Amino acid sequence: MADTMGHSATANRNTSVVISFCLLAIAPQIFEFIWSFGTIFGWGAGRGPAAVVISHGTALLAGAPGAALGAVGGDTKKASSDVLLALIYSYPIFAVAILTIFMTIRSAQDYVGGIALMALALFALWASSDLQGMRGFSFGAGTAPRMFGGLLVALGAGIALTGLLTDGPGMAHYAWRGPLFVMASIVFFALAIRPLGVVVTAFASFMIAAMGTHETRWVEAIIVGACLTLGCALLFPYVLGLPMPMFPRFLVQ
Amino acid sequence: MFDIFHNLGLGFGVVFQISWWSPWWLYGASLPISINILMCLIGALVGTLVGVLPGIGTVATVAMLLPITFGLPPVGALIMLAGIYYGAQYGGSTTSILVNIPGEATSVVTAIDGHQMAKQGRAGPALAIAAIGSFFAGCVATVLIAVLGAPLTKLALAFGPAEYFSLMVLGLIFAVVLAKGSVLKAIAMIVFGLLLSMVGSDIETGASRMAFNIPELADGLGFATVAMGVFGFAEIIRNLDAGAEMNRDLVQQKITGLMPTRKDLIDSTPAILRGTVLGSILGILPGGGAVIASFASYTLEKKISKNPSRFGRGAIEGVAAPESANNAAAQTSFIPLLTLGIPPNAVMALMVGAMTIHGIVPGPQVMQKQPELVWGMIASMWIGNLMLIIINLPLVGIWVRLLRVPYRLMFPSIVIFCAIGIYSVNNAPVDVILAGVFGLVGYWLIKHDFEPAPLLLGMVLGPLMEENLRRALLISRGDWSVFLTRPLSAVLLAIAAFLLVLTVLPALRAKRDEVFTESEN
Repeated sequence: MADTMGHSATANRNTSVVISFCLLAIAPQIFEFIWSFGTIFGWGAGRGPAAVVISHGTALLAGAPGAALGAVGGDTKKASSDVLLALIYSYPIFAVAILTIFMTIRSAQDYVGGIALMALALFALWASSDLQGMRGFSFGAGTAPRMFGGLLVALGAGIALTGLLTDGPGMAHYAWRGPLFVMASIVFFALAIRPLGVVVTAFASFMIAAMGTHETRWVEAIIVGACLTLGCALLFPYVLGLPMPMFPRFLVQ
Repeated sequence: MFDIFHNLGLGFGVVFQISWWSPWWLYGASLPISINILMCLIGALVGTLVGVLPGIGTVATVAMLLPITFGLPPVGALIMLAGIYYGAQYGGSTTSILVNIPGEATSVVTAIDGHQMAKQGRAGPALAIAAIGSFFAGCVATVLIAVLGAPLTKLALAFGPAEYFSLMVLGLIFAVVLAKGSVLKAIAMIVFGLLLSMVGSDIETGASRMAFNIPELADGLGFATVAMGVFGFAEIIRNLDAGAEMNRDLVQQKITGLMPTRKDLIDSTPAILRGTVLGSILGILPGGGAVIASFASYTLEKKISKNPSRFGRGAIEGVAAPESANNAAAQTSFIPLLTLGIPPNAVMALMVGAMTIHGIVPGPQVMQKQPELVWGMIASMWIGNLMLIIINLPLVGIWVRLLRVPYRLMFPSIVIFCAIGIYSVNNAPVDVILAGVFGLVGYWLIKHDFEPAPLLLGMVLGPLMEENLRRALLISRGDWSVFLTRPLSAVLLAIAAFLLVLTVLPALRAKRDEVFTESEN
């Protein structure tokens, strides 16, 4: 398998896949770290950034190997949720990432898709690990999620395997402009609808979404956006009777 | 037999129910109107509009309009949503024939021969045959629902939890068999959907599952939210990839002479009949629905035709058969929903959502406890089909003009409309963000060639499956063999296993792929 180093093109592509798998392996930890900055400003209740780094760091580097060894030695001490995350989610993905270095990927579309689904299933297994399992012959809350999670891990592995064994399409091309502006528009809408009301939010979101393509002509977009805003402002609150704030809160008061 | 007439009579009575409307501008005078007919008309018109416009599918529209139906009485709401579904099948054909852009996945094959006919100056007959075929298929399907409804309900009432579970397994396997592309990927999507349905509170113990202490997730992921993300937003993002400008070679000449010739009628009659039969059968089967029906009937016509080379060059059978098949399938797919409470495809899954919002639990009990709801809806389908054939042909010009609206203006409007729609379901901004996230998930799925439809099916059937599995095992005191020892359940599982084996066999797989190859030219 070491001869993959000979084909520099394959090796190059594999490296980027391996790096993205490694990032995927610690994605939940990174996400919690970013999320934890909110606690500095007093949003949400969670751990601070420092606590998150220390806790996950020790779990990944020391806690999880210790727990794994302990389990082999018959030590049944209850592991913390961070250690479990490292054990159930991060380590298997790291293992896959390391294995990927030695593989020739024949269909990147299938391989990456399968591994990502597997990661998702492992994450679900971790998320349901604190739930009660079978009690005698009756199902606990955690039985069904674990069943489906295990099944999805197997299926993801199967799809990844077909990506290794059969030729198929490579990674598709992803555009950034459309997804970015459409998502920005959606997020802006969600954040602004309560404080700013339908009129301002709908119009602004329309404009943000319109940036999603370079073909937008601004005069035209402004006219259509205004008409749509007017239509929505009449349709939803008045015709359909759905309760919705119309104007910015600070103007109404 | 007498029962059917009695039931249909009840249904028509519900549809034609007159209520007196006294608007303020009449100063006390009242107008007689039928709310249900009005809903049927609105649904059919909106459906046609959606069918005509490419870039927005039936699933996204039904999801978008779900909140609008909150204020309506349940019968009216369901009648309108049903109208959207079969209306879209009519509308899809119009753009396929005139512009060669299928507005709907179900009319992809209609474009092959329909657009050729339009180029030869026979757009009128093509449109007329499509409408007549759809109408005929709609009538047959309505009767079929009425005939099959009662006996299937009786059968369903004899089902225990084990049988229900096996039936759902069979349904999901059907969805895999009839889905496009890799079997393994389709199964994975179903399981992904099942897993998503687990988020939220456990039905029996109330324990919070995979909700990460986020209060908005405690109630589970909203089905409409996921549907809107995966089918609405993802579709928009994907369309933007290719560039917003689509090439639209409109047939410019005026459409004259709608009436098909005698020869057209003679040629298309058997095709319509075959399309209707095939569509009705495929519609009842879970997972397939209207899309597979149109593909399969086109392939069938080509196979049995004496002169297959005519296809692709304007053969009228190539328009008649798929159009009848998709409309028949769209309507017969209501049968499993109304009798067994199991949605066979994504649109029906949204109908479950609509019913639940109105406090109706879909299943065999509905037909007995609320017959006016079920039969009203069935009767409205026939009336809706009649309305569609009357309003559709004269309105072709308007629909075509709508196509000139460029996508660069349409997509931001759809985004805003979807966002407001999702927000208004629960007045929760978090739902909007969740739908956006699922839009990205859907975009990723499309890029990796995963089909999103089985995912939605899995998500809807998830809670039902878990509940029945639990109950079956509780009754059997933890004995898993109960699924094999109960005869009905064993038969259902055997069929499922047989189907799965067949699909994996190489010879049949080639056949299955052949049905879909028509879309690639």
